[in-house]
Amino acid sequence: MKYALLVYADQSGWADLAPEEGERQRAESLPAWHAAFGEIGRSDPSWDGHELAPAESAKVVRVRDGERIVTDGPFADTKEAIGGLFLVDVPDLDEAIRLASIVPAAAYGSMEIRPLARG
Amino acid sequence: MEEVENAFREERSRALAILIRVLGDFDLAEDAVQDAFATALERWPRDGVPRSPGAWIVTTARNRAVDRLRRDRAFARKAEAIARLAEVRVEEEDDVSTIPDERLALVFTCCHPALAPEAQVALTLREVGGLTTPEIARAFLLPEATLAQRIVRAKRRIRETGIPFRVPPDHLLPERLETVLRVLYLVFNEGYAASSGGTLVRRDLCREAVRLTRLLAVLMPDEPEVLGLLALLLLQDSRRDARVDAAGELVLLADQDRSRWDTARSPKACASSSARLRGEDRARSSCRPRSPPPMPRSSAGRSSSASTASSSRWTRRRSRGSTAPSRSRSGDGWRKASRSWTS
Repeated sequence: MKYALLVYADQSGWADLAPEEGERQRAESLPAWHAAFGEIGRSDPSWDGHELAPAESAKVVRVRDGERIVTDGPFADTKEAIGGLFLVDVPDLDEAIRLASIVPAAAYGSMEIRPLARG
Repeated sequence: MEEVENAFREERSRALAILIRVLGDFDLAEDAVQDAFATALERWPRDGVPRSPGAWIVTTARNRAVDRLRRDRAFARKAEAIARLAEVRVEEEDDVSTIPDERLALVFTCCHPALAPEAQVALTLREVGGLTTPEIARAFLLPEATLAQRIVRAKRRIRETGIPFRVPPDHLLPERLETVLRVLYLVFNEGYAASSGGTLVRRDLCREAVRLTRLLAVLMPDEPEVLGLLALLLLQDSRRDARVDAAGELVLLADQDRSRWDTARSPKACASSSARLRGEDRARSSCRPRSPPPMPRSSAGRSSSASTASSSRWTRRRSRGSTAPSRSRSGDGWRKASRSWTS
């Protein structure tokens, strides 16, 4: 079954860091992420995943009565914002849960597991 | 016909579990098993009860599933499903014990943690216990439509979220078994101290919880936690007639007429409980420290084997006042505290 594993985390802490401090922390966390990528790849070699640029860069578009409205910032005004996503094809929900729980963000943010709707 | 009714209680979940495993579809499996029992009602009175009712039901349900699939245009991967059904090698005359038992997978699927607790309870009673939707609705005093919705949603959720049909692998087993035991305990508890309804004890639910726990103990004979729960339920259940007086009011443990305890049940429970305790050290490394629900197993066992309240050990403990520092030491406080445990 195909699942989207959505990564949610509070990104506000990053924004206040000096650029070099942000880089350093990022570099420090990379090995854990690479380990997770490796494990996801063993479970589903055709997996896909992307990190998203910070939520402040988001634009929200709505069309109402034929009029286009573009606003800044993420759609939902919550602390935790979606920061990335994985697409995996695994045998069942238990495996999707296992993979989601080894993503480093699960330890400080949260992972949402959404089955892709079957057409 | 009584034989069909008995077979329905005993054999429905076995046939259902096999078909769900093969078809990966609760609804089709249920329809096919339903068809098989309808056929039994028609044939058994005429031709006699088959030698092995369980195998007969599985065989007939499998054949009915094939019929249904042939007629169903919409079922995805129909040919594949029919081929898999053909691989279920079972004949009407087979001994039922030769058929692979998939009921444990059914139990774990119905109690998957991705389902809400009330959905786990409803689905377990329906699919494993074979209770009808109106029966479950009555037991929980819910409108039938609410309960039917709950079951439909749970089955849809299993399908849409990809909840697997299997006994969980070893590394997931402790946590998942805990959920299963919790569901069984919830069913029992609702019967034992009914949260709603006119009577304090609802026997149908108690009986069903004991029956399901016993089935689980047969399916997992080496799990001390299962035997422990079974022992607890049997002990509590053995006192049920003495717990309520003629007016339907609760009778506290100390005031209960112990001659009304069903002592035929408690020795069995104590044996099961000590087997569990003996197995505990061995099991602790492979299972988990303690699991749900926080129950005073040993207290229930001790007070059940005593003939009066004052000779059971918890009362003696109370007079020493040495344990349970968080509880009031006055007799009254203990009585209240112990009420939820043992009355």
